[in-house]
Amino acid sequence: MAEKPKLKVSFHDFTSCEGCQLQFLNCEDELLDILGHVEIVQFREAIDDKSDEYDIAFIEGAFTRESDRARLEHIRKCAKVVIAFGACACTGGLNVLKNYRGVKEAMRTVYGDQADWYETSVALPVEAAIKVDYKIHGCPVPKQEILEVVKSVVAGRTPRIPDYPVCVECKLKENACLFHKGQYCLGPIARAGCGAWCPSYGGRCYACRGLISDPNNNAAKDVLEEFGLTVEDIMQEFRLFNGVYDVAQPPDNAHVKSC
Amino acid sequence: MLPHILPKENFDDFVAWLMTQGRVAAPVAKAPNFSFDVLVDKDDIARIRMDYDVTILPPKKYLLPSYETLLDFNGPAPENVRAEIDARPTVLLGVHPYDLHGLQTTVAAFSQDPADASVLARRKATRVIGLNIASYANDEQFMADMGTVDPPDGVADLFLTDIGDRYFVEIGTEAGSEMRRACDCFRPAGPEDHRARQEYDERKAANFKKRLPYHVRYLPELLEASYDSLLWDAVARRCFSCGTCTNVCPTCYCFDVHDNLNIDAASGVRERMWDSCQLEVFAEVAGGENFREQTASRLRHRMFRKGKYILERTGKPGCVGCGRCSVHCVANISILEAFQQIAGEAAEMHAT
Amino acid sequence: MTQAMAQPPAETSPYLPRVGRIDEVRQFTETDKYFRLSFADGQGIRFLPGQFLEVSVFGIGEAPISLCSAPGDQAGVEMCIRRIGDVTGALHNLEAGATVGLRGPFGNGFDMDEAAGKDLLFVAGGLGLAPCRGFILDALNRRDEFRRVTILYGARTPSDLLFADDLKQWDQRDDCDFHVTVDRGDENWTGNTGVITTLFKKMPKLEPANTVAFIIGPPIMFKFAVLEALAMGLRKNQIYCSLERRMKCGLGKCGHCQIRNVYVCQEGPIFSYAEVMRLREGI
Repeated sequence: MAEKPKLKVSFHDFTSCEGCQLQFLNCEDELLDILGHVEIVQFREAIDDKSDEYDIAFIEGAFTRESDRARLEHIRKCAKVVIAFGACACTGGLNVLKNYRGVKEAMRTVYGDQADWYETSVALPVEAAIKVDYKIHGCPVPKQEILEVVKSVVAGRTPRIPDYPVCVECKLKENACLFHKGQYCLGPIARAGCGAWCPSYGGRCYACRGLISDPNNNAAKDVLEEFGLTVEDIMQEFRLFNGVYDVAQPPDNAHVKSC
Repeated sequence: MLPHILPKENFDDFVAWLMTQGRVAAPVAKAPNFSFDVLVDKDDIARIRMDYDVTILPPKKYLLPSYETLLDFNGPAPENVRAEIDARPTVLLGVHPYDLHGLQTTVAAFSQDPADASVLARRKATRVIGLNIASYANDEQFMADMGTVDPPDGVADLFLTDIGDRYFVEIGTEAGSEMRRACDCFRPAGPEDHRARQEYDERKAANFKKRLPYHVRYLPELLEASYDSLLWDAVARRCFSCGTCTNVCPTCYCFDVHDNLNIDAASGVRERMWDSCQLEVFAEVAGGENFREQTASRLRHRMFRKGKYILERTGKPGCVGCGRCSVHCVANISILEAFQQIAGEAAEMHAT
Repeated sequence: MTQAMAQPPAETSPYLPRVGRIDEVRQFTETDKYFRLSFADGQGIRFLPGQFLEVSVFGIGEAPISLCSAPGDQAGVEMCIRRIGDVTGALHNLEAGATVGLRGPFGNGFDMDEAAGKDLLFVAGGLGLAPCRGFILDALNRRDEFRRVTILYGARTPSDLLFADDLKQWDQRDDCDFHVTVDRGDENWTGNTGVITTLFKKMPKLEPANTVAFIIGPPIMFKFAVLEALAMGLRKNQIYCSLERRMKCGLGKCGHCQIRNVYVCQEGPIFSYAEVMRLREGI
C-alpha cells in the first residue's frame, strides 16, 4: 500500500490553562505512533516551528477577546478540520463563570485599577466565532478521545464522541451510585466519554464534558431539589462548566444561544 | 440426584477447588452495594459475601461482557479477518434465583436462530453455583409475582441453601453431579438437613408476598391495554434516558457494534458493547430519522420489553423482579410501581 | 468439566463476513452509486426480493444495504448505495477490484410465488427503487405467472432518476405499464411532473380484489401512496412495504431495529400494511 502523505496538525491556544495540550503530550505510549501519521507543524507547548499549512487544527481555550476573532477565522481558513479541544473551547469552560459577575467587575477583581489596560469580554465557545467540525470535550480532555479523533480523521470516518450520560459509563464500571452514598452529581445529564473519571475515584461529576444533546433539565432540577439542594445551589453546580447552556438565566451575553 | 451438605467450615476449600476449575466470580462488597467480581487468588476468598443482598450488575456480564471483541482485522479489506470468541472456563458462585432466571432468559434470547456463538460458548464454559434467598432485599423487588423466587430447572449446577452452619446442596445438572463427586467437601444430606431445608422453604413462603395487584399472567395484556395511557408520558417527565435501568437489568441484552482502530488507523477490532434502548440515538437511522425520539416512547418500549416482548419471544421472563432498575434509578422510576399502575390505566382505557 | 468447557471454533461466529469482490461500479447520480459484486469463495447466494446484506469496510463499520438485483440462486449481487454516512461514504471511495465484507442475506423478503396469478402494482419513490427493483426484475423474469404489471416511479428531479437503462427497458416493454414522474423537471424533461400519487390516475384500471401492491419509498410517500391504493379498493393485506430501521446485527438480537416485539432485520423489512398498522410504531 502506498504511503499516505502525513496529515499536518497544528495546536492553537486561546483563553485556557493549556492543560489539554499537555494531555496530548501525555499520550506517551501512542505519541510516536501518532507521529507516524501526522506531522505537527504548530505546537507552542512542544515545538518552536510555526507553519500556516495544516489539515487539522486543535483549538484550545475560550473565545474571550473580540481581537481573537481574526485569528480564529484565519485558523478556520487554513485548516480542513477544526477541532474544539477541551471544555474551554467547547463550552467556554470555567471562563464562563466571569460572565455571571459582569465583565467589568471581573476585570476589577483581577487587575484592580489597571483593568483598563487589558482587553476582554464575555467568555464564549470557539463555535461562537467559527464553525467547528468536532469537539473533544472535557477538563481536561480524555486521552482516549484524542486518539479516537486522530485515528478517525486519518481513517476517514466520523469520530465516536459519546452523546449519552456519564451514568452509562459509571454503571459499566459498576460504581456504587453517588446518590446512594448520599452525594449528588451531574452524571445523568453530563456527556460521557471520560469513563466516569470522577465518580470512579469518589468525586462528583461536574459535567466538564458539557451536557448531552437533549438533557432532561427539569428532571435534574427535580431530583436535586428532592435531594435538598436549592435552585441556587443547583445553578452554581451547573454553571461551573455549563453556564453557556443556561437558558433560564443567561449570563450577560445575549448571543450565546446563537452559537 | 440426592442432595448433599457443604459444611461452612469446608466453604473455603470448596471455593479453592472451584478456582482450579476456572476463574471464579463471586459476590463481594462494593459499599454500599455488592458486585460480582473475579477472585484473583486464595486470599480473595475472604472477600466473598454470601450474605449479599443484590449486586449492582447481574452476573449476565460474564455471558455478555460489556465490551467484547467479535472480529480482528488488519485493514479495510475483509480477507484476513478473524473471529474471536473468548470463552474462558468460569464459575459463577452465589447466584440468586432471580439471576438464575435472568441467565436463562439471556441464553434463550441468544439461542434463537441465528444463534450467537460467543454467548453460547461462554454459557457452555460456565458453571453456576446458585444460592437461595429467604426474603426480599428491598421494596422494589417482586420476584414472588414474576415466579423467580425459586431457581429455574437446569441452570444452576449446584444450588446452595444456607441452613445455619452448613449449606444444603441440590444438584441440578450432570456437571453439578460431577463437581460433587470430584470435590471432597460434601457429605450426603441426612434427615435433619432435609428438615432444615423444608423449614427454609416455609420461611420463604411466609416472606415472599406478592406485590402486584393482579396475577402476572395478565401483565402482557394489561400492558397492551395501557399502550396509549398518559402514564408513560407522566413517568417520562422524570426520566433522564441515562440507560442505568437497562445496564443493571439481568434480561436486557441490546448491544452496539463498532470498529475500534489501532493506532495505525488501519488495523483494529470489531467490538460489541452494551447499548440501551433508553439512549436518545438508539433507534436513529442513517440520515437522522429517529423512530423513538420521545423519552416516553423509549420508556414504554423498555417496560413492554420487560413485561411482554421478551416473554413472548423467548418464553422466559423479561423481568425477573430483582428491582435493580428501580433501586438504581436516580429519578426513582419504579418498574413495580408502573406495573401496579397499569391495572388501573388499562381499566380506564378500556372504559373509554 | 474441562472437556465440556472446550473452546468452540470461532469460524461459527455469525459476525464473520464473506469476502465480496466489487466487479463493477457506476455513478448513478451525485449521491448514488451502483455496485455489482461477486463472492471470492466462488459460492453463490440465494435470496428473495426485499432482503438485504450487511456490508463492511473494516475500520469504518458495517451498514445494511438492500439487494436490488434479480433474486433466486445467483453468483453475485447488485446494490445501489447512497452516500449518507461513514460506511456508505467509504464504499463510494472503492473501485472495481476492491473487496468488502458481506453478511447475509437477512430479512424476510417476499416470495413472489405468493402473488402468482395477480395484478402487480409497484410504487417506488427515490432510493426505494433499489429494493423495489428486485421485485420488479423477478416479476418480469417470470412474466407469465402474473397478470398486469404496473410500475410507478417518482424521483425529485430528472438527475435523481436511478437505473436509467432499466427505466428505458421497462418503458419499451409492452407487457408492463411503466410511469415515471419527477417533483421538479428541468429544461430537457418532457415527462410527468408532480408527486408520485399523480401517476395513479395515469395507470390502467387494475382488478382491486386481485392485486398485490408493493409501495417502497420514504415514509411520507408511503403514507400518501397507501391512501391511493386503499382508494383503488385494495385491502390492507394486499399492500406491502419495506420499513427502514437501524439493522445493526441482522441477527434479531441487538435491538436497534426493533419495532414493538418485532425485529425488522429478521421478521421484516417487508411488511403488509395490515401488519404495519398492527405494529403501530411502524411508520
